[in-house]
Amino acid sequence: MKRILSSITDGRGFDVGLVSLPLAFLFVLSGLPLVYNVVMSFQEVDMFSLGSFSRPFVGFKNYIDLFGQPETWPILLNTAIFVTASIAGQFLIGFGLALFFWVSFPGASWLRGLFLVSWVMPGLVVGAIWNWILSGDFGVLNFLLRETGVISGNIFWRSDPSYSLWAVIIANIWLGTSFNMILLSVGLSGIPKDLYEAAELDGANAFQRFWTITLPMMRSTIGAIVALGLIFTLQQFDLFAAITSGGPNNTSNVTQYWAWDLSFRQYDFAKGATISVIMIVFVMFASVVYVRSTRHEVRG
Amino acid sequence: MSDTFRNRLMLAVALVLAAIYLFPLYWMYITALKTGSAMFATPPKFWPSEPQWSIYAHVWESRNMGRYLWNSLVIAFGSVALIAVLGVGCAYVLARYRNVWVDIGLFLILMLQVLPASLMVTPIFVGFSQVGLLDTPRLAVILAIAAKSMPFFVVLVRATFMSVPMELEEAALVDGNSRIGAFFNIVLPLARNGILVSAILIFMQAFGEFVYSKSMIQAVELQPASVGLNTFMGPNTNEWNNIMAYATIYVTPILAAFILLQRRIVSGLTSGALK
Repeated sequence: MKRILSSITDGRGFDVGLVSLPLAFLFVLSGLPLVYNVVMSFQEVDMFSLGSFSRPFVGFKNYIDLFGQPETWPILLNTAIFVTASIAGQFLIGFGLALFFWVSFPGASWLRGLFLVSWVMPGLVVGAIWNWILSGDFGVLNFLLRETGVISGNIFWRSDPSYSLWAVIIANIWLGTSFNMILLSVGLSGIPKDLYEAAELDGANAFQRFWTITLPMMRSTIGAIVALGLIFTLQQFDLFAAITSGGPNNTSNVTQYWAWDLSFRQYDFAKGATISVIMIVFVMFASVVYVRSTRHEVRG
Repeated sequence: MSDTFRNRLMLAVALVLAAIYLFPLYWMYITALKTGSAMFATPPKFWPSEPQWSIYAHVWESRNMGRYLWNSLVIAFGSVALIAVLGVGCAYVLARYRNVWVDIGLFLILMLQVLPASLMVTPIFVGFSQVGLLDTPRLAVILAIAAKSMPFFVVLVRATFMSVPMELEEAALVDGNSRIGAFFNIVLPLARNGILVSAILIFMQAFGEFVYSKSMIQAVELQPASVGLNTFMGPNTNEWNNIMAYATIYVTPILAAFILLQRRIVSGLTSGALK
């Protein structure tokens, strides 16, 4: 007994104790729900069997039913559009801004940091602001687009089925651009300056320097950022709740909102769990890419 | 072109870019001060002619914001306390050793970091309701947020511990300190700043958390401000000045804290996420 005690205060036991408690906590609150999710996706879960652990197993019925529903494929397509457009927008604008702020001038790093306010704000507040900016008759975005002659009539961003998904994408690009920019800035500052000097001596112009030095040197950073972008856009829920609620008629619905909607609006927990399992497998895949591209850092 | 001119030109362009990017924030503050009719004027006014300062007191009273913000604070402080107590030790051990087990632990933690809350909420909700945790819904939300955010905290704090030289701890051990003594007297004080910044980031996230609170807290008097804002924005609302006033009250403390601590937060964030 005494040896165990002294090991905890002054030996290996100290480390084991420090690390096992949080891991146990994560196992109970993340690991078990993960397993439970898979189990529920093979069960019949309704309001009556919600409280009991012994529910009838139904095999792949939930999966088959899910893909038999008419809205499933459009929602999967929406998710793909949402993810692709968001990542492309965030990355391109973020890269442009990062390149601009890379040129050092007084106040550059402070101003650059200021952009990150979009990222620390609660998602619901960002959603509320964009909901108002994108409003049809009185929205300021429609006003600006009209004044500059881009559109002639108002776009009803939130209620027009062909624009509703783009309303959320615009808000999400705004939200994520700053984070992309900050991480890309870190990557840019890691490129040795003498590479550029050498290229300049050899007569490479700015465009060539970008293609032959900046992009290749940033390859692992870009990989990590695109993977992180994928992870973050698949986590985006608040904007959907605040702007369109997945409507009208599911035209702006994506899987991560749909899973919640199935469980907590339609009380179909088995279907909610099923779509969650499919998406979690997908997210896990993205995170392996992310972990691999930052592996050198992780191992120190 | 002289250097000062170039610097001024760059600064001017940077200010314009920042102004465009931060316009939504400006629009929130301006809309809150507009009267009901000025809000729906075409063309919209970009400067309020008769600012309605009394709107804040009105919204605070009518939406019961004190209660909502109190609940947000309880949830945020609870989550940060739990995450800090559990996460600091974990990050320390993961930073101190290099072996296969540490690699496996880190990999698991990075994988847990990516699970979307809106997908995890279904099994967590059902599980919590079965063990009776939903009777104390704020505690349930704190536990769920802690499980969601702890991996991120561990990754950030581990980067801080990596920068504390191990020789200092070894010297303390040679001087007769126990492991516990060396940890609390030497290592922890040296890593204090990094831990604090990470805790603030986690606090900001937890303060705005929505999915878990919306799903697990049914009683209105226990709901946080994010759920309150969601309730306020009905499908066909036209009280946008009131909603923006609510958003202003909710978000201004976070923005103030961020601008004060900006430099530290940005460097802490980048050290953990990439390098």
